[in-house]
Amino acid sequence: MSTLQSIPVVATKAEKPSGGTGNLLANVFDELTAFCRSRSLFMLHYCTGCGAIELPPAMTSRFDMERLGIQPMVTPRQADILLVTGYVSTKTLKRIILTYEQMNSPKYVIGICSCTVNGGMYWQSYATAKVLADYMPVDMYIAGCMPRPEAVISGLRELMANIRAGRSDNWRDYYRRYDHYLGNQQRLFGENWQTPTDVIGEARHYGQFGPETLGEHTALLERHQTPLLPFEMRLGLGGEKTGVENKGDKR
Amino acid sequence: MMHILIELAVMPLVAFTIGMFMVLMMRKIAAKIQRRVGPPLLQPLYDIVKLYAKKTQSSHGLLHDIGIVMAVGGYIAAETMLPVPGMNGIADKAGLLTLAYVTMIPSLGLALGVGQCANPNGSIGIARALTAMLAYDIPFVVIIFGASWFYGSNNLIEVIAAQQAGGIASWGVTKMPLLAIAGLFTLYAMLGKQPFEIYVAPAEIATGPMVEMGGKHLGGLFVMQCFQLFTASAVYVSMFLGGGENWLFFILKLFAVVAIPMSMAFVFPRYRTEDVLAVVWRWPMVLGLAGVWLVMH
Repeated sequence: MSTLQSIPVVATKAEKPSGGTGNLLANVFDELTAFCRSRSLFMLHYCTGCGAIELPPAMTSRFDMERLGIQPMVTPRQADILLVTGYVSTKTLKRIILTYEQMNSPKYVIGICSCTVNGGMYWQSYATAKVLADYMPVDMYIAGCMPRPEAVISGLRELMANIRAGRSDNWRDYYRRYDHYLGNQQRLFGENWQTPTDVIGEARHYGQFGPETLGEHTALLERHQTPLLPFEMRLGLGGEKTGVENKGDKR
Repeated sequence: MMHILIELAVMPLVAFTIGMFMVLMMRKIAAKIQRRVGPPLLQPLYDIVKLYAKKTQSSHGLLHDIGIVMAVGGYIAAETMLPVPGMNGIADKAGLLTLAYVTMIPSLGLALGVGQCANPNGSIGIARALTAMLAYDIPFVVIIFGASWFYGSNNLIEVIAAQQAGGIASWGVTKMPLLAIAGLFTLYAMLGKQPFEIYVAPAEIATGPMVEMGGKHLGGLFVMQCFQLFTASAVYVSMFLGGGENWLFFILKLFAVVAIPMSMAFVFPRYRTEDVLAVVWRWPMVLGLAGVWLVMH
């Protein structure tokens, strides 16, 4: 992973427009949604590292992202873009994956700073996940240590152009090659790693099932998977131990 | 009959279109105050289309979905009772009190939907939102009472006709200025912008009621916001600013009514929930009661 070219950035081809070729109105709706998707991006900034400091100027009066239709949002459910701004430690990566899986598709991941590209200055760190694209499909890297707000905005504009042209469909890749991503996650977190989101079920439901969705790693997941139970509701009067244990926090 | 059916379909559409431009104006005002350029002309439309075009959804169950339908549906029902120039819909069968009831439905629907999400931030947010509703609805009822007493009618068509009979001199705002000021204050609290936005509190409880809303659910809430801005300002214009003589003046009045609180909003931090209650129950309430006393004597 020494050169930039060897880093896997998955680029899926634009979907062929369906329907007759003679009908000009056939793709009007698809064109409209593609245009609106590119012009309205809600971003969730997962500020893990130093790159986060470049986002306030990009959002506020100096560079004003809102004129491009880009707004910050605060929960993964509302967001379209997941901005990972800097180095990703093993512990942080778990949270990033949980966040990513909770977002509604189409969703896009942007890696800001060199650390998300290849580990950057944390290359020799034992606790840092070097290549973000190993664990989730990344749509755009904005390299630099740190990139200036101009670079951030130019990267976002390029993402907008990609979305407009239908080139940025990497969220499908997470469903279609889930086994690959899960394998890398298991390599880092251990074989009993699981998230609350049923990615395989979602892939089936939304028709994103591919030949590499299932594999040896998802088989391992099924073997270790414990069903997610709702919180037990107990009304205790002070001092009494409730015995309620959050399964999610054991990881 | 056909006539009424067409109006019932057209009135919410018109309200939605105007509401979208109000959202745009709100964001533009915020941008100008912060010395930014702000969003382009059709940004609210892009946002809504994008949210409805999401490929995967995160529904937490039936009530979550129905809550959004109630939130939007309550306002759609309200639009059919608000007379606009040339269209009265079913306004002659409903009055200001019915409107006050119907505009509560969205908050209750939202509470149902958020309850099923089981997100603690959402529960905190909706508890605060319902408390805020309690805060502004009581002065709102006082103001409705005063206005209805003055016009001798609860019916918006008659209220508007009474005001338009004598030009500006017979508008509610000149006849009962105290109630009009209290009404503007209440409308400000109703719109839920700074300093009354403790129930949203993005950095603290992650947008409260909206925390688990994504895709079509959030799209529904964006549509609801357009309706909310239109409804609140149209009720105010009908009660105090003589309703709409024609579309031009009607739209100008609507936008002016929203612009006044919005120009103040974005320079404020926010009140805590108990302070919202204290402020709204003190100032608009006292002004409103004084206005009612003046009207009755």
